[in-house]
Amino acid sequence: MSFVVAAALAIAALIGLPVLAHLLRRSRAREQEFPPAHLVPQAQPVARQRRRIEDRALLSIRALVILALALLGATPLVECSRLSLDRSSGASVAMAIVLDDSLSMYAKSQGGRRRFDHALAGARELLDSARSGDAVTIVLAGAPPRLHLAATTDLEQVRRALGECEPSDRATDLSSAVKMARAALQRLPHADRRVVVLSDMADDPLPEGQPIAVAPLAQLRTAAPDCGIVQAERQGRRVRVNVACNTASASRDRRLEVVAQAAAPAGDGGQRVGAGQVIGDAPLEVRAGAQLLSLEVSQPLAAMDVRLTGGDALAEDDQLAVAPESAALMVAVIRDPSTSSVLTGGATLLEQALAALDRDIVMRPLGVLPDDAKTLAPFALLIMDDPPGLAAESRTLLAEWLARGRVALAMLGPRVEATQLGSTLDPFVQGAARWEKSESDGADVASLGWLGAAAESLARLEPQGRVLLASAAPQGSQVTARWQDGQPFALETAVGRGLALTTSLPASVEQSDFALRPGFLALLGHAIEQAELRAGPRRSQAGDSWTFAPSPSVTVTGPRGPLALQDQAGDSPEKVVSVANAGRYAVTVGADTHERFVHRAEREILKLPENPDDVAPASSGVAIKSRIDASADLALLLLVLLTAELALRFAKRPARRKPDADATAA
Amino acid sequence: MQLRRGLDWGTLTPLRITAKVVADGLYSGGHPSPRRGPGVEFGGHRNYVPGDDLRWLDRRALMRHGRLLVREFETDTDRALRLVLDASASMTYKSAAAPAAKLAYAALLAAALGRVALSAGDPVALDWIGGDERRPLPATGGREAFERIVRALEDARPGGDLRLDRTAIERALAPVARHARRGSVVVLFSDLLDLPDGALERFAALSARGRVLIAVQVLDPAEATFPFRGAVRLRSSEGGQIVETDGDSVRSEYLRALDALTATWRERLLAVRGRLVRCQTTDDPVDTVRSVLRAIEGGRQ
Repeated sequence: MSFVVAAALAIAALIGLPVLAHLLRRSRAREQEFPPAHLVPQAQPVARQRRRIEDRALLSIRALVILALALLGATPLVECSRLSLDRSSGASVAMAIVLDDSLSMYAKSQGGRRRFDHALAGARELLDSARSGDAVTIVLAGAPPRLHLAATTDLEQVRRALGECEPSDRATDLSSAVKMARAALQRLPHADRRVVVLSDMADDPLPEGQPIAVAPLAQLRTAAPDCGIVQAERQGRRVRVNVACNTASASRDRRLEVVAQAAAPAGDGGQRVGAGQVIGDAPLEVRAGAQLLSLEVSQPLAAMDVRLTGGDALAEDDQLAVAPESAALMVAVIRDPSTSSVLTGGATLLEQALAALDRDIVMRPLGVLPDDAKTLAPFALLIMDDPPGLAAESRTLLAEWLARGRVALAMLGPRVEATQLGSTLDPFVQGAARWEKSESDGADVASLGWLGAAAESLARLEPQGRVLLASAAPQGSQVTARWQDGQPFALETAVGRGLALTTSLPASVEQSDFALRPGFLALLGHAIEQAELRAGPRRSQAGDSWTFAPSPSVTVTGPRGPLALQDQAGDSPEKVVSVANAGRYAVTVGADTHERFVHRAEREILKLPENPDDVAPASSGVAIKSRIDASADLALLLLVLLTAELALRFAKRPARRKPDADATAA
Repeated sequence: MQLRRGLDWGTLTPLRITAKVVADGLYSGGHPSPRRGPGVEFGGHRNYVPGDDLRWLDRRALMRHGRLLVREFETDTDRALRLVLDASASMTYKSAAAPAAKLAYAALLAAALGRVALSAGDPVALDWIGGDERRPLPATGGREAFERIVRALEDARPGGDLRLDRTAIERALAPVARHARRGSVVVLFSDLLDLPDGALERFAALSARGRVLIAVQVLDPAEATFPFRGAVRLRSSEGGQIVETDGDSVRSEYLRALDALTATWRERLLAVRGRLVRCQTTDDPVDTVRSVLRAIEGGRQ
């Protein structure tokens, strides 16, 4: 025991003095001789009671005064476990707070408090130790990392910004977040820079670099057993569910249930189903890792949820909406297998190229363009390889379908000259297009910059011919690529909210090497992106952003209510919204309303926190223990207590006595 | 106990002149006496009290008025002064504001009165109520008598509990009743607080045979004003009674009880032509002796 501690204890022991004095005082009044005592009546109990109450009030105040004095003396020596900024010098500090708002931060500690709340409290403690002139920036580490607040010296603004932070179902991307934080500090003039990571560190190790990133909150890195539903999809009468468990214990004695989200009437031999009724279930395997469960449901419904029974440290990922099969982007491919297949047979080159893109799409090969809107409606993208022409009904149907925000890609070929009477290729080309021998060997790479590096591959296509688009370009169309001789290679024509893409070469290898080039894949990828942009991806991962083409009315309502759309960065007129939480979303674009589904990242559930020793470098400039200086508050308290005692004593003061009484008083 | 120390004889000088006026009437033939009693010259009637000499019962007045009246005459009487001092334990009380204990003040008054009486030629006797090693003095006169009285007072050792020793009053007043001659003046110095039941009646009975009874109630200022505040624990000097009380709330009640006690004595003494003088130890003793002399004069009229 140090001298300081002993002295503090000795001062604290003084609190017993007023108690002792009070006991001595109230034990018995001092006995005095008074001959006519038999003439004096006993005291009234009421007076005694009042005096007892007054004495207790005085005793309490005096004890508190001594306690406050002891605390006042000990204040500079008191330490508590809280975050603070260590300053080697008096200079201002630039600090980047990397706050993890990923799914794993929902996990609750033993005290029932979420990891995110601990992190938020740590951030506020750091702010409390910040001084005027310190610059603070906030970076959110849920994927993708975001700069929540640019560096500012307005600490109140930082506190408000912290109050707006909420955990989400995003994955963790600490590496990018730390890089973003360092970049945010780079422009600041402060010499002393800090990066503080408030995360459970359930991610890859922090990247090397300066300033050193420090993760001071070790209590966030305790393991939290958890099983979570990654995604769920309906396939016919079955529901395929991806479940991830970070420990085997978390999956013990747990089952997966499929429940009806809303009541459904009986039909097709099925019985009536009530809301919340379990229509299928299966047990989880007792093991850590990812599991794929396929559950047969008693009655397939349009709106179903899956949930995990039992409990774990993270209840937020134990339930998810089941996405319908059509949630993936539907792509219709109209091709002639006799001309576009490879010589060995099987899938056409176009279909193989779409599959090679590894995008979340469902491809449906079609022989001809559907002649009713209901059949065409589920598709977001229509790809036609060397179409022979479109009848009037088909053109009308296609125009209406495009106007609702769909994308069609027509890769024109020699058949443009074989269109039947009354058939045209509107809106891809206007009037009669002509197939001719190509005088150019390939596309102008400079005009294909929007395809990226793959554009180089289109420089030599060895075409047998090409469609002359220059004279057949529809009104309002835009040439997006050219041949090396300046002829249009590709066109884009806006139709309502939709887009019609036209190329002057087909996918057939008999006409050119176009389908064999990486640029072909890039072109298909562009078409898919345009389709996703308009129709939107029906399935996304938490943290993804949805971009909407300019539209008078776009609303997005998620599981936690409506989301606010924001302007796209730059001068783009498009609107963007970031979906942070998994679940079912209702998207309305004009008169068109559809559902989208957001799932979780499997890795976010499986990844356990890193070893604290590996992620908390010493001498990082952030101290976990801090000295508290509450002298001002204690001094004020002391003043208040002394005033209270004076007031109490004044109220209890004896009445002013007459002069003659003074002369005879004892 | 240094009696002479607190006595301002110079201040008593005008008192001595007044006392001499009173004392002059005490000697037979010296000057007309306001004293009524057996003699040769009719001095008036008064109501009969038990113990009066039946020789002076006025039969004619009885027949005329139907009341027992005693005839009085201006007479030469023995004007002996009998000083009775209460030396019980309660008389030793002295509060912080008091200059001396009650017994000391009473002794001062007694000595002053004795000197006045002796100066006038009246014999002075000294008796005690309570006290240890008390030394009563028979009625004697002359310059030496004053010295004896002072020594007796100086040697007094207060003590005793009158509330427990109920015969103390009887033992103290019996010699007085036996030796006090007609017309004597009996002055009792006491706080009257701890006297046992019946003390008042026993003292009033001394008024027979034309004796003048004067009770001087000597109080400490604390007893007269009850200056205690807040919670106090008071112990009686006699009787061992302990009272725990709140000074502020019981003051008026105590003072009423004290006044009632004093009033009882006053009224009872008035009924036997006696007087009560109440004083505090802080009072000027000259004024107090003057009050006593006036009371004596009033008792004789």
